[in-house]
Amino acid sequence: MSFTTSTALASKLPQAKDLSHLFVPTFRIHQKSPFKAVMGTPTLDMINMAGGVPHPSTFPLEQVQATVRAPSHAAPGRTGTLSLERTQANGSTESLNELLQYNDGRGMASYCRFLRQFTEQAHAPPYADWDVVASCGNTDSIAKAVSLFCQQGDHIIVEQYSFPGALSNLVFAKVKPVPVAMDIEGVDPVALDSLCSSWTGATPLRAIYVIPTGQNPTGATMSLARRKALYAVAQKHDLVIIEDDPYYFLQLGPMPETQDTTATDMNKLSLVPSLLSLDTDGRVIRLDSFSKILAPNLRCGWITAPAYIQDRMQILNESTILQPSGLTQGVISRLLNDTWGIEGWIEHLNAL
Amino acid sequence: SLTKYMEADPTLLSLGAGLPHPSTFPFAQIGAHVAPAGASVANTAPADMLNVSVTTSSGAIEGLGKFLQYGNGRGVPSYAAFTREHTHRVHDPKYVDWDTVVSLGNTDAFVKALMLFYTSGDTLLVDEWTYPAIIGTVVPMNIQLAPVRMDAEGMVPEALDHVCTNWTGERKLRMVYTIPTAQNPTGATMSIARKRAIYAVAQKHNLVIIEDDPYYYLQFEPYTADSEHRYTNLPGITSLVPSLLSLDTDGRVIRLDSFSKVLAPGLRCGWVTAPKYITDKIQFHNETSIQQPAGVSQAIVASLMNEQWGHSGWERHLVQIQRDYAMRRDLFVDL
Repeated sequence: MSFTTSTALASKLPQAKDLSHLFVPTFRIHQKSPFKAVMGTPTLDMINMAGGVPHPSTFPLEQVQATVRAPSHAAPGRTGTLSLERTQANGSTESLNELLQYNDGRGMASYCRFLRQFTEQAHAPPYADWDVVASCGNTDSIAKAVSLFCQQGDHIIVEQYSFPGALSNLVFAKVKPVPVAMDIEGVDPVALDSLCSSWTGATPLRAIYVIPTGQNPTGATMSLARRKALYAVAQKHDLVIIEDDPYYFLQLGPMPETQDTTATDMNKLSLVPSLLSLDTDGRVIRLDSFSKILAPNLRCGWITAPAYIQDRMQILNESTILQPSGLTQGVISRLLNDTWGIEGWIEHLNAL
Repeated sequence: SLTKYMEADPTLLSLGAGLPHPSTFPFAQIGAHVAPAGASVANTAPADMLNVSVTTSSGAIEGLGKFLQYGNGRGVPSYAAFTREHTHRVHDPKYVDWDTVVSLGNTDAFVKALMLFYTSGDTLLVDEWTYPAIIGTVVPMNIQLAPVRMDAEGMVPEALDHVCTNWTGERKLRMVYTIPTAQNPTGATMSIARKRAIYAVAQKHNLVIIEDDPYYYLQFEPYTADSEHRYTNLPGITSLVPSLLSLDTDGRVIRLDSFSKVLAPGLRCGWVTAPKYITDKIQFHNETSIQQPAGVSQAIVASLMNEQWGHSGWERHLVQIQRDYAMRRDLFVDL
């Protein structure tokens, strides 16, 4: 399967279906961000007292730097340095002062730009109006995604054996998990169809939470055929799919004859296409994380979903974390945009 | 609950928690050039900058293998310990089993404190003009706000008493949210007498107080038109109006502190101080949400505080921040 796509093609893609009838009542109305009302657009010269925005002259950091190794283990000992200077742009990354300042709930522009480009290459979402929003990891993203569609007393479909962190979240949120049978590949689409068709619960089933690759705890990975079947059932029953996929890029594939760890072509990664890549309706909310592919305590990830869903996600961010550490996003952006580049990043994933 | 087994043998990789091996982390060193404590970064020559550096080896603080790995909701120990010691130095809590737990800043901390005691249908006591951004938090949670009259010093204790005494709602009022220093939006700062009076009313009605105090250190000397004799009496940490936490003999204050206004907002680093049974619950809530603050941020803060500035340097930095903002205030008032 080819992972490249042209921008000309993208403009011929359909818009996402409007699934806002699946939102919990609070989110059905498009709200203005209260944070934005207070913060406005941050500028570096004036202090916004409404938002309590500090003056960047008080940030005592002149420069942040990191020593990083080359993307592939095929070049051991090769290291480089990346740096973030205080008041100037750093390649395609913002200045340190901008990274250290309050910013909105979308994520730093340079960070999101790279992830948009990478998501396009890796998944080529088959609808036009998707976008990425920064997250602080998938555990938090699960809670936020669930809260868009499920409130206290609602139900959500989960795999028969599911990620304990997600199940804890459901307990907190008082959302009840409805397990669906799994087999060696994961969710059984026939069982899912039957579950939805015969559902008699007080509130409708609106969402399913799945971990399609390296499932926690079973280790199952869905084949492409299985994913297509799952997607078809989700379409039939108008379900949102929360695709929790932190292990996606760790797929090992069959053992190759020779170990080529320097490949920079996405095709060499032998990855089963994601649910996002099949998502013609715009019903997949995909959760990606740097935790297993860069480092867990960076606390950085991203969510891919239709733009109108991301507007709600932005509001959720702004009423909780604001956004992940701007400094960390800057370090990641500097590494991926300017030091390794997208080829180096793919080489790194291949070497993993 | 399984983390104690992970700590017993550090070379073991836990597949249950999905822990990647530290050798896959691509960072060998993360560091920063920081101005000496109390100096303005714009006026410090490059040669005088302090070198903050965290490598894969551990010394006074943990190594990158710890800062960049999954941990628990308490944060990396050297970061967490600094915030705890600083809290002790400034507030000296008056009950024994207080503790601190990390947060991603006060918005995150507010949600967590609220969710400990409140659910859909509850009502939160707030200043009649309160921080607008909390609306975005309480509305989706179906939590109502009960406004309490303010004056120039902030929430009026008699008004708080009145609202509580005359409350006829279905669910009891159990929490009051206040921003006692440089209140947003009114700018009001409570005196110690006002805080004592508010605390007494909270005791009478058995309320939990959320003390949201990101501007705590931004207290100044009173304005004087005499520009020759300014900035000689900045409070540092020794002459600040004491916090509600410092008056808290019952253990009913949940204090929210943040590095956002006194170090930088983009670090997303803060901490909560409360009785340990409360901080334990916030720790667990962290572990099902944000985990802990970004490791890069914690590394730089931990190294800066533990290896460069220390508590005396941090306190000198706070005086400098007070001076910076007092100068801006004076410029404004002078006009």
